Amino acid sequence: MRKDATPLPCIAVESLTGCAGELLVILENLDKLLPFVRVSSFPFAQSKNDDGPVDIAFVEGSVSQPHDLEKLRNIRAKSRWLVAVGNCAVWGCVQGGACAKCKVTDMLEAVYGKSSEIQVLEAKPLDAYVPVDVKLSGCPINTTQFLSVTASILKDHLPYITHKPVCLECKLRENACILIEKNLPCLGPVTAAGCGALCPSMGAACYGCWGPCQSPQMDAMATILTEKGYDAMEVINRLKTFGAPDHLFERMSSETGREA
Amino acid sequence: MSQSLLLKKTDFSIFFQTLKSLGKFFAPVRVSEQSFSFKEIETEAQIAWEALRTILPPKKFFYPPSETLVEYSGNEIREVKPEMNFQVLFGVHPCDLAGLGIMDTIFEAGPADTHYLQRRKESLIIGLSCMPDKYCFCKSMGTSCATKGYDIFLTDLGDAFFVQVETPRGIESLENCRQIFTSVSETDKDNYKDYWERRDKAFTNGFEPDNLRATMDMEWNNEIWDELGKRCLSCGNCTPVCPTCYCFDLVDIASLNGDSGSRVREWDSCQFVGFAQVAGDYNFRPTPVDRLKFWYRHKLHGFDDPYGFKTCVGCGRCTVSCPAGIDDLVDVVKKLQGQRESRNDSSEAGGENESQIK
Repeated sequence: MRKDATPLPCIAVESLTGCAGELLVILENLDKLLPFVRVSSFPFAQSKNDDGPVDIAFVEGSVSQPHDLEKLRNIRAKSRWLVAVGNCAVWGCVQGGACAKCKVTDMLEAVYGKSSEIQVLEAKPLDAYVPVDVKLSGCPINTTQFLSVTASILKDHLPYITHKPVCLECKLRENACILIEKNLPCLGPVTAAGCGALCPSMGAACYGCWGPCQSPQMDAMATILTEKGYDAMEVINRLKTFGAPDHLFERMSSETGREA
Repeated sequence: MSQSLLLKKTDFSIFFQTLKSLGKFFAPVRVSEQSFSFKEIETEAQIAWEALRTILPPKKFFYPPSETLVEYSGNEIREVKPEMNFQVLFGVHPCDLAGLGIMDTIFEAGPADTHYLQRRKESLIIGLSCMPDKYCFCKSMGTSCATKGYDIFLTDLGDAFFVQVETPRGIESLENCRQIFTSVSETDKDNYKDYWERRDKAFTNGFEPDNLRATMDMEWNNEIWDELGKRCLSCGNCTPVCPTCYCFDLVDIASLNGDSGSRVREWDSCQFVGFAQVAGDYNFRPTPVDRLKFWYRHKLHGFDDPYGFKTCVGCGRCTVSCPAGIDDLVDVVKKLQGQRESRNDSSEAGGENESQIK
């Protein structure tokens, strides 16, 4: 590298408890980023990593163990922009949503036995512990969104991320409506878009893997699905699987007396 | 300057081939048991003649769901002109022709939308007659008979089409197959009148439109808005499917090099909570009730004063596209007009809502 060149912005790509789906998407697109950034840390993809300050830290996974939390606080302290990538980091995903029904200690015992030394926390998204600058959900994240978000942050602009529902993307593809024509429990109306309505385009119901859209009408969704004959409890479980937080269900539980 | 001709259905293939040679040919195609979509077709057999309403209306051809308007690089800004190929849009029913007419008025109003207008100019529109189903209510909206917006209109007379050629472009497009058209006889004219009379009597859905304006004004605080709002998913399905919804969002997409990017226009929906969110996180339509009520008013009354028409054309798309069954415009208007026997009334008693919509 030429000595007089302006140093490139530094990025770190880190993982807590997740499936590494986001890391794979970032790795697949690393060639596009490399002319514009220096990757100071990406343990999933490179063996030589440094722990110095970075301009942008992309963090995937939920905080599920004490060492996740320690790592997250360290990342926060050294990063100008902390970007939560993927549903796990933004909403807590299945380990935060579907598993919330069970006590974390019970699950630990069931899986690892009574005398396990493994330490666990209730799975939570990043913003349960530290301020998060940008939340880019996905399961995994969408490449186009990731690159456009990164481009904005490199300019120190707040990126645009759609929080409109999947229904919009689905209608624009002119899919037959899964809810209306197939009576399947499609969660498109309450789920954030960005996937391009992938599942409904294949004739399957959206199961909400990107997390809630902006101001999701959970109670209306539950009403419509129960009218279609789906069991109320099953509907609530379905709505909560990917980490939709409790406060989105407040009206539902207060009006119907249903335990949300 | 309308010119009337007769086209035997046995000669339709020649007509189809002639039109197809003019450019891309789009017609309704079946995409599922209940749904249709305007798609580019290659053969006559792909045309779904039975299609009444497509998922998206023909506005998508002139006002695409996503469109790059400008690209910038350094200090230079370049307008991205629409890439145009001449297109033939076949099988457009009267409600959709009325919808295009309304969109024309909106997009022509200054400052005119040159992209939309250019696409309109580069298109040949072939209208087609239709018999209403239980969701059609164009008759109530005064849009059941096409008076403009098409180059050629076909009325189905059984074994022949009664062809009305309305524009110079329409006449031009028939030049290469002029031999298949004959002049209309008195019997053809009688059959034509008979068809439209039968059609007029075939409507089973609709409402008394005379007091619509007053109803929309007076019933702003009617309790049914709250009932509908509780069911509303804010999914926004009602707006992209509407032939006259034109709201959009502008998004700037930066390139990684930090020096260039583009500004993209995308269809938006007033049903999304972010639509009315403004600086300071203030939202002037924060709840589904606010948004739904606004949309209804916009469709049934909002354009009365500035333009003297309503922006609903009675195509029934919102009714069949609403997963919550609350965009049954006819049902809602009847309720607002005080006709309380409407079907949703049963929901309070039994909680079973199977009867709505489908």
